[in-house]
Amino acid sequence: MTIPVTVLAVDDEAAIRRLLHASLDRAGYRVVEAGTARETIAALQIDKPDLVLLDLGLPDRDGLELIPLIKQAGAAIIVISARDATQQKVAALDLGADDYVSKPFDSEEVLARIRVALRHRLAGETDVPRLRRGPVEIDLAARMVRRDGEEVHLTPREYGFLAELAKAPGRVVTHAQLLRAVWGPGHETDVEYLRVAARSIRRKLEADPSRPRLFRNEPGVGYRLMGDE
Amino acid sequence: MDRDTRQNRPPKAGGAWGSPGGYVAALALVVIVTLAGLAIVSLGNIANIGLLFLLPVMVAATRYGLRTGIVTSLASSLAYNFFFIPPTHTFTIENPQNIITVMVLLGVAVAASQLAAQVRQQALLAQASAARNQALAGFARHLTGIGTAEALAEVCCTQASRLLEVNAVLLMPSGQGLEVRSAAPRPAELEFLDHAAARACFDTAQPAGRSTDSLTASEWQFHPITGAGHVLAVIGLSRADAGDPVAADQLPLLLGMIDQAGLALGRIALTDDMAAIAQVRERDRLRHALLSSVSHDLRTPLTTIIGTLNQLRPADPEQAGQLAEMRVEAERLHRFVANLLDMVRIEAGALRLAVEPVDLSDAVASALQDMDRALAGQPVNVAIPPELPLVQVDPQLFHHCLINLIDNAAKHGMSSGPIAISARREEHGVVLSVADEGPGIPAGQEQRIFETFTRLEGSDRRGGTGLGLAIVKGFCEAMGLAVAAANRADRPGACFSIHFPATRLKELPGA
Repeated sequence: MTIPVTVLAVDDEAAIRRLLHASLDRAGYRVVEAGTARETIAALQIDKPDLVLLDLGLPDRDGLELIPLIKQAGAAIIVISARDATQQKVAALDLGADDYVSKPFDSEEVLARIRVALRHRLAGETDVPRLRRGPVEIDLAARMVRRDGEEVHLTPREYGFLAELAKAPGRVVTHAQLLRAVWGPGHETDVEYLRVAARSIRRKLEADPSRPRLFRNEPGVGYRLMGDE
Repeated sequence: MDRDTRQNRPPKAGGAWGSPGGYVAALALVVIVTLAGLAIVSLGNIANIGLLFLLPVMVAATRYGLRTGIVTSLASSLAYNFFFIPPTHTFTIENPQNIITVMVLLGVAVAASQLAAQVRQQALLAQASAARNQALAGFARHLTGIGTAEALAEVCCTQASRLLEVNAVLLMPSGQGLEVRSAAPRPAELEFLDHAAARACFDTAQPAGRSTDSLTASEWQFHPITGAGHVLAVIGLSRADAGDPVAADQLPLLLGMIDQAGLALGRIALTDDMAAIAQVRERDRLRHALLSSVSHDLRTPLTTIIGTLNQLRPADPEQAGQLAEMRVEAERLHRFVANLLDMVRIEAGALRLAVEPVDLSDAVASALQDMDRALAGQPVNVAIPPELPLVQVDPQLFHHCLINLIDNAAKHGMSSGPIAISARREEHGVVLSVADEGPGIPAGQEQRIFETFTRLEGSDRRGGTGLGLAIVKGFCEAMGLAVAAANRADRPGACFSIHFPATRLKELPGA
């Protein structure tokens, strides 16, 4: 990277900002801090961050309201949220946040999420023709899935499910997003379709379906294709 | 108010026979009319002088009643006969026409006195009713602005005692029985019998005591005061001379007062209820404020601590191990704080469940992944048949349940063997168990182990307030699931299970 990537860390707690600052600094990012929604909006215009780490609990405004503004400014968004604030996470993701990390976070996890989000933002959706996870290969160009080099037959819905995850590798895709993309509008709440598809895919692709390695379910939020690191 | 009571008493005409003063006045009028008649006659002979005598008869009949009127008409006819009918100065009547004059005078006396009596009766009634209304209005005025049952009791007693000229006492329910709340004009001493009458009145919502249908031996007469469909209080009345406490003509006033008092009492009860509701609401608001501030103030420093521990990379392997342990413990602390807050929210009814169909293998896999560090390489065997139905739970709460059960198994299993997580279908649903190979649960403690802050006696199970298990139980019960603890049948160790009843299952179409 010739030009350092700028990350805006938004949290009303100075201690947490310092913490994020230190680990982002070490990873080679240029770091800007903001403690309020006001400061965030100002920083969006002045510092033009590539990515915003956004705590939703801000003193002057609901953090969710900032998501469209940040999207408009062209930055990726990773929401930092309390572990049990499931509905808030889902709302943020559906508004366009790229991913989330739960408090208390592991800085390694934060950095990994940042890498995934930035990669995705630079590469774009269509530019990921082929993925490999262990013995499984997902070929988006050929619309084909192989296990140990042999084609595995998936139903169109199963393939669609897996392809949606593969288009955003390492990022969470919400239940509603998956259902809308694969089953079509009007099915956003039919979570059991996802469970059936996930179970069937695992039976076909996983060595041990009760210890899945290909993708995991984030309770109440969505599915995530596991990383390749 | 004294004025009111005076007016309340009808001005009596001196009984059926009228007052002696009435007779004197009427006869005086007769004398005056006679003298006037004589004067007129002396000026010239004028016929029908008898008409003059209508005046005293009318006056006597309307003012002093029937009998005075009749006496006056008799006196008038005698005077007329004696002084004016020829032969004058005798009581003999020659002309039959003059007999008619006497009869007419008598008839006029009767008719006029009847009419006058009726008018007077109605006037008396109107006066009594006006006085009663005035008394009631005065009473109502006293009642408005009263905010407590105590003040109301006092006003009721003083006003009843004053308006009805009786001793009054007011009783209200308290705890087991009825309690005297107020009395006027002096403190009341109620005997056992009086209490029984009050009780009977309260229970049956009917008057009881003296001059009623029940418990007439009591000196007091009790009337129920009802408001909002319930008997709220009982008012008792008695007379110092042990006479009938309420005269028949006072009953409407008393009943009116009782109605007013019932309305006021109902209003006070309603106000009290509203105040209680407002208090509960305020308490909820405080609890909510406390919860969110505790949540924020405890979790923020913990997040910073955990985040900082994550960043430390000591070269010394011993320190690295200590750091890893610190991190696991700090995360456990954070988890418990979060769980505790959820628990309080559940108990306060502030936690809304977001139930969705969940695959048990998904849930277990997620929990194991989050517990990766705490498990520190401890082996876990998972056996969840792929054809099991989905379970209807709040995924986040269920995730916490699993994490706590796995954490508990990891702590108490003491690395002596693998943790076994399994699910199976049973007759009435699905059971998910988490089993360890630790020392197990002492006999008879299987239920207690889920109670908050239980540390099992006689066991060397470490680290325990049992908070984690209490949270599992609380969350599961909030989701309509049952929990159980037992010792393993196949080998030493404890087994904790969550039971999903059929209503919490979602069968898969293709499964």
